[in-house]
Amino acid sequence: MDKLDIPQGTLDLMILTILVREPMHGYGIAQKLAALSQDQFQVNPGSLFPSLYRLEQDGKLKAEWRPTENNRNAKYYKLTAAGRKQLERHKQRWIRISFAITSVLEGA
Amino acid sequence: MTLFHRFVSMFRWVLRREKAEQQLDEEMRTFVDICAADKMREGVSLAEARRRAVLELGGIEQVKEQVRTSRHGALVDEIGRDVRYAFRTFARNPGFVLVVVLTLGLGIGANTAIFSLIDALMLRWLPVRDPQELVQVKLQEPGDGPATDTFSYPIVRALGEQQEIFTGVAGFSGYSFNIGAGDSIGKVSGALVTGGYYETLGLNPEAGRLLTRSDDAPDAPLAAVISDGYWERQFLRSPAAIGQILVVNGAPATIVGVSPPGFTGANVGMTADITLTAGAFASVNRQVAELIGPGNFWIRALARPAPGVSVRQAEARLTTVWSGIWDSLIAAHWPQSQRSPFANARFQLAPGGTGWTTMRDRYRQPLTVLMSVVAVVLLIACANVASLMLARASARQREIAVRLALGASRGRVVRQLLIESTLLSSIGAAFGILLAWASSRLLLETMFPGSWRVTFDLTPNGHILGFTAAVSAATGVLFGLAPALRTTAAGPAAALNDDMRTSSSRSRLLPSLIVAQVAMSLVLLVGAGLFAGTLRNLQRLDPGFNREGVLIADLEGRRTPVPQELVDEIQALPGVVSASVSTHTPLSGSIWSDRAVPRGQPVPERDSAFFVGAGPRLLEIMQTPLISGRDFTDRDSAEAQPVAVVNEAYARRFFPDRQPLGQYLSAVVRGARRDLEIVGVAKNTSAAGLRRRSPLTVYVAYRQLTGSFPTTLVIRARGNLAEMAAAIRRAIQPQMPDTAIEVLPLSAQIEAAMVQERVMAGLAGAFGALALVLASVGLYGLLAYTVARRTKEVGIRVALGAERARVVAMILGGAVRLVSIGVLLGLPAAWAASRAVQSMLFGLKPADPATIGGAIVLLGAAALVAAYVPAWRASRIDPLTALRHE
Repeated sequence: MDKLDIPQGTLDLMILTILVREPMHGYGIAQKLAALSQDQFQVNPGSLFPSLYRLEQDGKLKAEWRPTENNRNAKYYKLTAAGRKQLERHKQRWIRISFAITSVLEGA
Repeated sequence: MTLFHRFVSMFRWVLRREKAEQQLDEEMRTFVDICAADKMREGVSLAEARRRAVLELGGIEQVKEQVRTSRHGALVDEIGRDVRYAFRTFARNPGFVLVVVLTLGLGIGANTAIFSLIDALMLRWLPVRDPQELVQVKLQEPGDGPATDTFSYPIVRALGEQQEIFTGVAGFSGYSFNIGAGDSIGKVSGALVTGGYYETLGLNPEAGRLLTRSDDAPDAPLAAVISDGYWERQFLRSPAAIGQILVVNGAPATIVGVSPPGFTGANVGMTADITLTAGAFASVNRQVAELIGPGNFWIRALARPAPGVSVRQAEARLTTVWSGIWDSLIAAHWPQSQRSPFANARFQLAPGGTGWTTMRDRYRQPLTVLMSVVAVVLLIACANVASLMLARASARQREIAVRLALGASRGRVVRQLLIESTLLSSIGAAFGILLAWASSRLLLETMFPGSWRVTFDLTPNGHILGFTAAVSAATGVLFGLAPALRTTAAGPAAALNDDMRTSSSRSRLLPSLIVAQVAMSLVLLVGAGLFAGTLRNLQRLDPGFNREGVLIADLEGRRTPVPQELVDEIQALPGVVSASVSTHTPLSGSIWSDRAVPRGQPVPERDSAFFVGAGPRLLEIMQTPLISGRDFTDRDSAEAQPVAVVNEAYARRFFPDRQPLGQYLSAVVRGARRDLEIVGVAKNTSAAGLRRRSPLTVYVAYRQLTGSFPTTLVIRARGNLAEMAAAIRRAIQPQMPDTAIEVLPLSAQIEAAMVQERVMAGLAGAFGALALVLASVGLYGLLAYTVARRTKEVGIRVALGAERARVVAMILGGAVRLVSIGVLLGLPAAWAASRAVQSMLFGLKPADPATIGGAIVLLGAAALVAAYVPAWRASRIDPLTALRHE
């Protein structure tokens, strides 16, 4: 089965959600996203990394270099307070949107 | 996330780019490493795991590029890199850069130069308080004639009293003062103003005080304000200058203050170094006393509407007020036909913040034409550079293909190429600004020759730099876009292919650029030819007098006859053939009209002829031939029978079927009724304007004039005119203590009357030549390039037995075809352009066949010269070398 493209504007939300539990590096985020979506989403690094850099630049994420469990130095992304706030806001909105869409679809 | 925050992080990216780049690279490698490690756990080899990891990432460089372009500040960053890259490219091609910068510099420089004149003359605000509030007062008489902008002194004073309409009214008129006395006397350009002048403009003195309303009273002591420049030049900015006495036309005036730097009067371009109030000056100067009467309209007025009063309201209120006061302000002795139009006149308030100058009307059309001409020159320069870029683009195609293959989008490469072209145009613009600035003095002297009073500040200012920046940006896109799109159109695969070079040579773009250059050059050459022809026609025109060998000295201050002894004294000087006097000299710009009809006819209310007061032998000195009768002589004195000489036009109009000699004229001469006996008929002259038909003219005897009239000495001399002028000045200056005497050749005055034609011929010719050179260089470049590309083909032709002459003919034939198409396209454009300047032409039609033919021949000859070298080179191609080519 073909994988799904990540809907426009939701990648940031998913990145923030994944990072809420623990800091991760880029590859880890990609893997986690694939796993959490039950391999439905096609995670393209060509859009993942630009999103990470933008979020970092906007102060939603903070990055630090530290060794992985295999002792490879990697860039770990971590949620900031501002990132947490944005996550809350966007999450609420997304839940409302998906609820609304579901209602429309089922009501028709 | 504040905006500030954003900027900080954006600039951190830009500034610490090296480190950021390094980290980005590191992060990509980590991704590949960790990913590969995962893959290896599935049991593939290291190499295969890495290959798959890179594939999953989608290419290290590609992802990096996506990150770079999506983050904030990416644009600034990328442009910075593009600029550096462009400079590296330039450094590798200095010759190309030099040619482009020179071509664009000339094109942009010409535009900047003409625009800075337009800016100085038309667009610049006066350096006064809130100039945008100022309005210029105009009066529209009933009917559809033009509104008048000159007013009498009493009217401007009355306008100034309308305080519910205006907070102030500034009346002003340029005036040339004679400053000093005896040997140190000199002319200084100045202004006569009304008392509200400085207050209305809202100026503060640089030193001392400025003139006020109380200085404008007839009994006020004569007070002068000097300009900052005059203070600097004459007094080295000494505070002691305030309170010093200046002798102005023989009367003492006290310097009370200095106007602020940068302000040289409301009369744009005519620096007023000394400013006096008209009212106070009138009490010490007869001529001005006459001038400030109700019958003379000579003052321009700027006004500042009262707060809360709109321009429309002010106009309406003014027109209402006017109906109650006009009667007392218009000269009572004027005939009713002249007075009555004022009763129903309406006021108009035009924007006045840029000041006023006669030069605006005089130079509007020439400057518009010149601006169009330089715009075309720039278009030609653009076409030229575009074809250079195109030719060079094929050499760069491989480099661009590599960049496209490495993940740069087409837009990105196009942007890079556009940045290169705008950089080139910016360097060209910088060069052009320098060029324009360096040539501004020359340009002013060409446009306003010999007028010492005309001063413009052409130093590049915000307007000019803005204009040039806009022009250069537009230029960069104009000549850069087509080559940039063309080069990137093929895409990486095709571009990396060796054959692409032959495929792109089929383009029609390059030849059409040459055709466009030829067409535009033709337009400019035809224009230049028409203006040159106009100047030649005017110079060859028989004006009815001989301007060579005649000196004139305007005794402007004097309003009564000069003593005969003075004329006799000049007559006695060695080298003087004959000396006389005249009230008006040819093309001086000032004329006198009055009323004269054959006796028996009713004298009309309106002026019916041009008048000239002529001393003995004046017609002989001017070498104006007499058709019949005699010239004025010493016997035509105040006591003798009043006599007149009429010109042919007058004789034909009023004496169509009888001999005018011995007939009498009923005339009003300077306000006095006279019966004049006609003693001569003179040939028509173009004394009132070279382009106009000779007006009806009556010469009257100078010695028989009464009242007030101007005098100019007219002297025919032998030998070196400059030396004679100096000798005459030395002889008469001591007898004219209040007037600075200037003795000038009559030919200078005639030349000055042709200045517009001279400027147009000179500048249009220069720009036409520039266009011709650019177009020829463009053609040469194209052909040289074509020959280089077709070396192999030509080699084969020669090897197969083609004669050298045929090869030359083939290349020349291509050139002839391009030029012919260009000429065919250019002809209608040239026709339309010459129709647009028709009113500036003299003695030839817009579609003058000789001019058009000449332009085509010139263009063709230049094209052949340009084409010959590449053609000859093609004919020398050695088939063996050619076949080994590539």
